[in-house]
Amino acid sequence: MAFYENTIVAKQDLAEKDLESLKNKYNELINNTHGKVIKIEEWGLLNLKNKIKKYNKGFYIHYKFEGNNKTLNEIEKKIKIDSTILRHLTVKYKKLDVKNEFFNNYEKKK
Amino acid sequence: MNFLIIMKRKNKKFQKKNSNSLSKLSLFHKGDSKFSKKCPLSVKDGPIVDYKNISLLKKYVTDNGKILSSKITSVSYGKQKKLTREIKKAKILGLL
Repeated sequence: MAFYENTIVAKQDLAEKDLESLKNKYNELINNTHGKVIKIEEWGLLNLKNKIKKYNKGFYIHYKFEGNNKTLNEIEKKIKIDSTILRHLTVKYKKLDVKNEFFNNYEKKK
Repeated sequence: MNFLIIMKRKNKKFQKKNSNSLSKLSLFHKGDSKFSKKCPLSVKDGPIVDYKNISLLKKYVTDNGKILSSKITSVSYGKQKKLTREIKKAKILGLL
């Protein structure tokens, strides 16, 4: 088992219900496939530096989880099919730092 | 005594000036003093180099999105390697 971080960039024109369901969908997917979600962060609507598929903004969701290669394969498969996701990135870490949050402004505004 | 010390100091100054002027005589001769800034990232309790820490990464990227060389920013070899990797990750997500 190793530690991973996964970030998803979703389209900006989604309703709040869809975002919630999207967030829960991958949370359950990780938990069901030999994995364990440690933390979920919502970075909120952020401006993209360059346009991606004609979109100027994106909704960022960030997962910190523990898992193995089966979980990673499953996530990759599901994300590639998903049409609401613009970009994604998974990074392996030896240690996760849960304390630091670099995108804290969104939650304060709410 | 005081007078002697002042004399010594004056002598020292004089000698230093001489050595400097000599070192400047040839273009290819390197001076005794080197201009070396210390790496700003490998200080104790320094900033975290990570693809989420965009405010840090923005300092090492030009307006056009090019990565600045370590000659300009005086970042150490290991940290520069890490910086480039993290910047490229941030570019994938559209953050930089």
